[in-house]
Amino acid sequence: MNKGGPGGGGPTAAAAASVAQKQKTLLQKVEGDIANIVDNFSYIVNVARVNDPPVRNSQEAFMMETRAARMVQAADSLLKLVSDLKQTAIFSGFASLNDHVEQRRIAFNQLAEKTDHTLSMIGEKAAASLKELESNYSSSAQKTIQEIQP
Amino acid sequence: MDEGMELQLSLDKLPIKRLDSIEENGIERFPPDVDYDEKRTSLIRRIDFAWAIEKDEEKKKQKKSSKEPATPWQWQGMVENLQLAHQELSVIIDLINTVEANDAVTVASMTKPKSLPNEALSDLAVCAATKLQCYRKVGKYFKQSAKAFEQQVAREARFYGALIRLQQNWKVKRQRQTSIVPGNEGFTFDLFDNSYDQGAIIRSSLMSTVRVNHDAAGMLAINVSPELCHSLQFGFVGAQPDDMQKKSNENKSHLPDEDSSDETGIESSRDEECVKKTHSLLRDVHKAIFNEQVFDLLNREAFSASTGFTLTGIRENYLQLSLGQGTSVYLSLASSGQDHPTVEGELTNNADNAVSPLESSDILMHDAQQNTLKKKGQNSNSTCYEIYIQQIYHEHIFGRGSEKPISSGNRLSGAQANDGSSLLGHFSMSLSHRIFSSKILAELENVVFKVPYLQLISNPTWYSRGSSWTLFMEVPPSILRGCQIKASENATKRQFWTKVVVIDDCINVKAEGSPNVSGLFKGKSVDTHSINQYDCNLADLPVIILQQVASQIINWLYHEALMVGIKANRDFLCLSFELEQGETLALVANVDPEDNDGCISWSLVMEDSFAEVQKLHTNNTDDASEYRKFLGPLSLDLLYATLIDLISFVSGGGGCQ
Repeated sequence: MNKGGPGGGGPTAAAAASVAQKQKTLLQKVEGDIANIVDNFSYIVNVARVNDPPVRNSQEAFMMETRAARMVQAADSLLKLVSDLKQTAIFSGFASLNDHVEQRRIAFNQLAEKTDHTLSMIGEKAAASLKELESNYSSSAQKTIQEIQP
Repeated sequence: MDEGMELQLSLDKLPIKRLDSIEENGIERFPPDVDYDEKRTSLIRRIDFAWAIEKDEEKKKQKKSSKEPATPWQWQGMVENLQLAHQELSVIIDLINTVEANDAVTVASMTKPKSLPNEALSDLAVCAATKLQCYRKVGKYFKQSAKAFEQQVAREARFYGALIRLQQNWKVKRQRQTSIVPGNEGFTFDLFDNSYDQGAIIRSSLMSTVRVNHDAAGMLAINVSPELCHSLQFGFVGAQPDDMQKKSNENKSHLPDEDSSDETGIESSRDEECVKKTHSLLRDVHKAIFNEQVFDLLNREAFSASTGFTLTGIRENYLQLSLGQGTSVYLSLASSGQDHPTVEGELTNNADNAVSPLESSDILMHDAQQNTLKKKGQNSNSTCYEIYIQQIYHEHIFGRGSEKPISSGNRLSGAQANDGSSLLGHFSMSLSHRIFSSKILAELENVVFKVPYLQLISNPTWYSRGSSWTLFMEVPPSILRGCQIKASENATKRQFWTKVVVIDDCINVKAEGSPNVSGLFKGKSVDTHSINQYDCNLADLPVIILQQVASQIINWLYHEALMVGIKANRDFLCLSFELEQGETLALVANVDPEDNDGCISWSLVMEDSFAEVQKLHTNNTDDASEYRKFLGPLSLDLLYATLIDLISFVSGGGGCQ
C-alpha cells in the first residue's frame, strides 16, 4: 500500500528510510488500535455472565463503560489516521497532480487557440459585413442623391 | 417505636452476691456462680421477641378479618413486606447495638441464612436485569458514537471531495500547524502567480492566500471579502455615467440562493453548487489580483515622461491621465458596486465635430443623436480599452499561448526609456491613434457623403496603431468598349482607388496617378498608372483626397479622349483640347471641401492667346464671363457626356458656338 510520502522510495536513501519508518509506525498504530478494540469488545462480551455477588456486577458495569469508551477512542484514532492518509495521498501525490496539471494546461491552451480562432473568424465576418454594409450604403446614397439632383 | 405500643420496663437485679440462706451454724449459702456462657445465654434470652411475634399474629388475624374489602391496593402486599422487613431490621439493629454496648455478648459468626429458591432466583433476575441495563447503555453509547463517526466521515468526504475538485484548478497548500483548531486543517489556496513582478507581492499578499474553512455544516467554505475584489475600470473623463453603472453591475457575483428544503435529496447538488460558488469566488479573487497587477504596473509607468500620457490626477486606486488634445482618461481599481467620480473641469473628447453622414433629414436631432452615439461609442470603446490593456499586460507577462512572454522577470523599471516597449507607451499610442483615426474617418465620410460617386471601404488592419481606408470610384463604361483593341482591354480602368493609411498619427495617401501611355498597351493595370504616394496632415486631407479624385477623373477623361483619337492635354486638374484658331477649350476641376453641393465642381474655360494676356492684367474672376462657364458639380455620366460633346465639338471643326 503506497502511503504517498515524498515520492515513495525517493532519490535519497534517507528519504526512503524515513518513508519506511513512517509506514511501519502507521502500521503499528493501526494494529494497536484494532487490538485495543478487539480486546475491549471481547471483555465486554465475556462479562455478560451474571454473578452472584452484586458487588462484582457493579464493578463489571463500570469496567464495561470504561472499555466502551476506550473502544470509541481507538475507533476515533483509526478514523483520524485514515483521514491523514487521505490528505497525504491527495496533496502529496505529485505524479498524479503533475499529470493532471499537464492535462489541464493542454486543455486550456486548446481552448485559448479555439478562442483566438473564433475571434479571428468574428473579425473576418465583421469585416465582410462592414464591406457589405458600406457597399449597400454607397449604392443607396447614390440613388438618393441622384434623385435629388435633376 | 409506635406510639400505640406499650412501654415495658424490666429491672435487673444488681450484680452483687445476695445471700441465699444462712444455716444455724452460721454458714452462708450463696447462689452458685453463673457460668459465663450461661450468663450470655440468659442475657440473649432476655431480648424479648414476643412482641414481634404477637404483632405478626395480630396482623394475620387482621388480614383474615379484613379480607372482606373487594379490591385491595396492589402495593399492599409489598408495603406489608417492607414493614416486616423494617421491623426485622430494627430488631437486628437493636441486637447489634446491644452487642456493641455490652462486651458480654459478642458476635461469634455471621452466616447468611440459606436463601429460599425464589429469593435466589429473584436476586439473579435483578442482577441480570442490571447487567442488561448496563449493556443497553453501552449499546446506546456505541450507536451514538457510530452515528457521530458516520457523520464525521461523510462530512470529511464532502469536504475533501470539494477540495480535490478545487485542487484541479487551484494551488492548494497545507500548513502543518501544531495548534490546529479542530476543523481547520490548515489548507490554503495560493492564488499568486510567480510570473508576476516580485515587487508587487506586497500589494497582493493580502488576497493571494485564501484560507479554507468549514462552514456550519462542515462543508468547505472560504471567506472572501467582496471589497477586496477589485475590477479595472477605464474611461474617458466626462463620459456619461449610465454605462458605468451597467459595467459595475456586471461585475457583481451572484450568490446561489439558500435552499432550505430536504437535505438528503439534494445534498449532492448543493455540494456541486458549493464547489461552483467557491470556484467562482476564487476566480474573482484571481482576477482581482490580476487587475491589481495591471494597475500597479501602469501606476509605476505613469510617472515616466516617455509614455505619452501626462499624469493629471492621482488618488488611491485611481489615476487620471491626459493624452493631450483635450482628451483625459482615467484608470481605477473599483470594488464591485463602487465607482470613482471623475475630477471636474476636464474637457471632453472633441474628436468628432463633423456631421455624421447617417441621415440628412433633421440637423438638430441628428446632432443630438450624433452626440449620444459619440458618447456611446466612447463608452463601448472604454470597455474595449479596458480589455486591451488587460490583454497586452497578459501577453507581456504570460506570453501568448505556448510562446514565451515578451519580457520576463523583473523587467519593468523606469530604465525603459523606449516608448514602444513600455506598456503604457504602447497603449497611449494606440489610444491616440484610435482618436486620430476616428477624426480621419469623419473627414473621409464627410467627403464621401458630399461626392456621390465616391465610395468608402474600410480595410481593417487588426493592428491597434494602424488604420486604412480605400476611396473608390467607379466610372461609367466607355462607349467604344466594343471597339477597343484587345491589348488595351485590360487597360480600360473602370475603377480608381485612393488609399489612406494611417500609422500612429502619420497619414499616408496612396493613389493612382497619371496614366502611363506606354503601359496602356501592356495590359497590366499596375503599369497603366503610376502610383502617387505622399504624406499629409489632417487639415489638408479632404483637399488632397478631392484633388486626387479630380485628377483621376481628368485622367480617365483624358484616356477616353485618347481612345477616341482626339489629342488632348492634361494638366493636374485640367483637360484641354486645342481648337483650330489656337484656342484651347479646357475642362477644369475645382475642389472645395466646404462645398455642400458636391466638392468637385467643373468649369469650361475657353482660352486664346489674347485671353491669357488679358488675364494677367485684370483679376477677372467672374464665372459668367465669356471665357469661363461654370458647370457645377457633375456626375460621372454627365461628365462623360460633356466630354463626348467636347470631343464632337472639337472634331467637328472647332467653330464658334
